[in-house]
Parts: sequence; C-alpha cells; structure tokens
Amino acid sequence: MEAIQAWAQSVWEQIDFNLIQGDRYLMMLDGLKVTLQISVAAAVIGVLLGSIIALMRLSNAHIGRWYFLRTIATWYVDIIRGTPVVVQLLIMYFIIMVNVSNPLPIGIATFGLNSAAYVSEMVRGGILAVDKGQTEAGRSLGLSSASTMLLIVLPQALKVALPSLLNEFIALLKETAIVGYVGMMDLTKAGDFIRSRTFSAFFPLIAVALVYLLMVTALSKLFALIERRIRLSDQR
Amino acid sequence: MINVKGLTKDFGAVKVLKGIDQTIEKGEKLVVIGPSGSGKSTFLRCLNRLEEPTSGTIEFEGIDITSPKCNINHVRRKMGMVFQQFNLFPHKTVLENIMLAPVHLKLLTKSQAQDKAMTLLKRVGLEEKARSYPAQLSGGQKQRIAIVRALAMDPDVMLFDEPTSALDPEMVGEVLEVMKQLAAEGMTMVVVTHEMGFAREVGDRVLFMDEGIIMEQGTPGEIFGNPKNPRTQDFLRKVL
Repeated sequence: MEAIQAWAQSVWEQIDFNLIQGDRYLMMLDGLKVTLQISVAAAVIGVLLGSIIALMRLSNAHIGRWYFLRTIATWYVDIIRGTPVVVQLLIMYFIIMVNVSNPLPIGIATFGLNSAAYVSEMVRGGILAVDKGQTEAGRSLGLSSASTMLLIVLPQALKVALPSLLNEFIALLKETAIVGYVGMMDLTKAGDFIRSRTFSAFFPLIAVALVYLLMVTALSKLFALIERRIRLSDQR
Repeated sequence: MINVKGLTKDFGAVKVLKGIDQTIEKGEKLVVIGPSGSGKSTFLRCLNRLEEPTSGTIEFEGIDITSPKCNINHVRRKMGMVFQQFNLFPHKTVLENIMLAPVHLKLLTKSQAQDKAMTLLKRVGLEEKARSYPAQLSGGQKQRIAIVRALAMDPDVMLFDEPTSALDPEMVGEVLEVMKQLAAEGMTMVVVTHEMGFAREVGDRVLFMDEGIIMEQGTPGEIFGNPKNPRTQDFLRKVL
C-alpha cells in the first residue's frame, strides 16, 4: 500500500515538474494551437483545391484546347506524391516563401498544397464511382454540366470518398509534427522543448502522444456521426 | 415537331446508326422496337443529344439542335426523358428529385414546384412517398417517380428508353398504366420498348429497327398484323 502511494507521489511530482511548473502546459497549449491552425487551414485548402484538381483531371479535356488542364493536374499530383513532405516544407521555407517572415502561412501553404494532391485522387475516385446514369438524368432535365456535377454527382462522390478523406485528415494532423524543422513551435516541438528543459523524456512526450490520440479519436467520432447522417438516404 | 435527317452515329469503328430519317408529329406516339444492338436506344438518345450524332441533323420545334450554336440545355427542358435504370437521385427525397430542376433553373418558385410535384404525385398515386428516399421504393414506384420528375418540367415530348425492362414483371403494369394515361392526354411520346402489347395498344406508328436502319414502319396493325420485311417477321415470331 505504501509502495503504491510512494509511486503515485513520484508520478505526480514528475507531472508537476514537467508540465505544470513554469507554466509548461501553456507552452503545450500554444503548440496545440499552431498544430490545429495549420491542420484545419490545410484541410480546407486541400479539399477545395483537391476537388478542383480532380475536376481538371476528369474534364473532357482530352478533346481539344483544354488538354493542358489535365496535364497540369496530373503533373501536380505526381510531383507532390513523389516527394517527401519534409522536403516540400524546406523548399517552401528556404526557397519559395523565403521572404515571408511569419512561419504559419508557410506551414499552411505546404500542407494545404500537399493535401490537395491526395484529396484530389480521393474525390476523383468518388466521382468515378457515381453511376453515369446520374449525370445523364441531370443533363436530360436541362441542367448544365456544372450544375449536374455540383448538385448531383459531387454530393454522391463525397459520400464515397468520406472514409478515405478521414484517413487523409488524420494523416495531415499528425504530419504537421514536422513543422519543428523550420522552427515552428507546434505541439510536438513544444513537448520536445520541455524535454530539453527538464531532461525527462517520458512525461512530455507521452503527454504529446496522448493529445494527438485524443484529437484523432474525436475526429473519427465526428466522421462516424457525419457518415451516419448522410447514409440516412440508404435506409430501406 | 421533331425532324430527323440522315442521322448516323459511330462508336469508333462501329456504325450504330446508318442514316435515319424521321418526322415525328405533335401528339404522335411513336414506338420503336427491334432486337438488342439494333440502334434503337442510340436513336432515342440522339434526339436530346445524350449521344452526339456523327452526322445528320435533328430539328426540334424548328430549331436545329445539332448546330453548335444551339443551347442544348434549353432544348432539353422541353424534352423529358425516362431511363431503363430510373436514375433517380439517391441522395434526395422523392419531392426533392422532382423539384430540383424546375427550381434550380428558376422556372418555378419553391412553393410552386412543390404544389406541382404533389399534384403530379397524386396523379400516379404516390403522394404518400413524397418524403421517402429512392432506396425505400420498389422499381415500379421509382419509375413512376422518374416519369413525374420529367413531367415537372412541362416537356413537349417525352422520350422513354425501355422504361419497363429493368422491372419485375408484376410492376410493369403500373408503369405502363401511367404511360397510357399520358398518351391519352395527348403527350407526344417516343418509346423504345419490348412491350409489344403497349406498342399495339398505344402506338400511332411503330418503327422496326435493325442493324442501324429502320427496316419497316407502319401502324401497329400493319406491323403486327402483316409485317412485310422478313427481318420484322422473324423478330416478331421470336418475341410474340
């Protein structure tokens, strides 16, 4: 009994020392804020730009003057998927946005552009999974091809793409952990910084891991909820 | 109302339509029959340019719809189409399916469209399904809704592409009943079908197509009673 009490006491002391003293938890909260800012903004950019890229790749561009749209989109996806995101981040930081002093837009731009490539393939797969008859029905009612895509095909395509989009958002959230490379203080970097101050690795790093786990779990729950809602129309 | 001249359609090297000439009058019920692969569905789908004709012209209410200057979206508002696979929008309720096009194209306000949809639904006996999703309906119900969806645009002509071919036999009757009602109201109809009973009863004129051309045409009495072309005779012997 006494041994357990002593153990609990020492654990509490460690937590107090690593996370509470010197307001170190505030540092982690600031880091969390950066992680969330980058992730959410990049996800929004990723979905919007990714959808546009998917439409470019699917456009009837193989006939005639719009062919270059398709080529650009294909190249974009190939280049982004073919290089490590850390390298993309470094290129963005040291070359493309070298005159930008605030690192936050650099992180957002890097991950937004990166995510767009992956999202575009998910959306493209979703669109291809929607029956051709849906497009024909929309067009036969006099809707333009853009309206048909927006009102009829895309909502059904997103439903198909939803599980893989969840995967992408989870990966995105966790991948932002590399922004420490260019000196940003995100959640991971904050934990590591605390470790370097307290010379104790266990509690800061486990705390960081738990926060990520918590966020990913919440995200999964949220998606399960959304999915249940939009599958209402499938019930017989 | 519809004037087709020298219509051909190739899919790559395959010539599906090899020159079709047809005039369809206002109020006429034209029934197209023929073996599968004869080009009858392609012919129908060319009429609203779901298939782009390879050559030839199609005039609808005096407008050349094959001309590049023609706004096909405007033309299609007046040409309702019903598909073999229904093609209802699965993510929308029955009511939303019917209201979508007239509201989005600003032809009707929301409440006008809803009134119209409910009136039409009542006519086909499905007003209690207005809030259902397509997945909750039987095939026959789906097809009746699809007809209503096309009618909500107030079309001048209705194109039917094998509307009963995907249905269980016991549901064919309810769909044909709606089509007969429509015919009786004077709607211009072009119907591709395997329902010979319907062709005989409702059709003003029957086309028999095979190998991408119109092999024979005439009144139902002529085609079914006394077919001249050996291919027609052979086909009718197999299906009747």
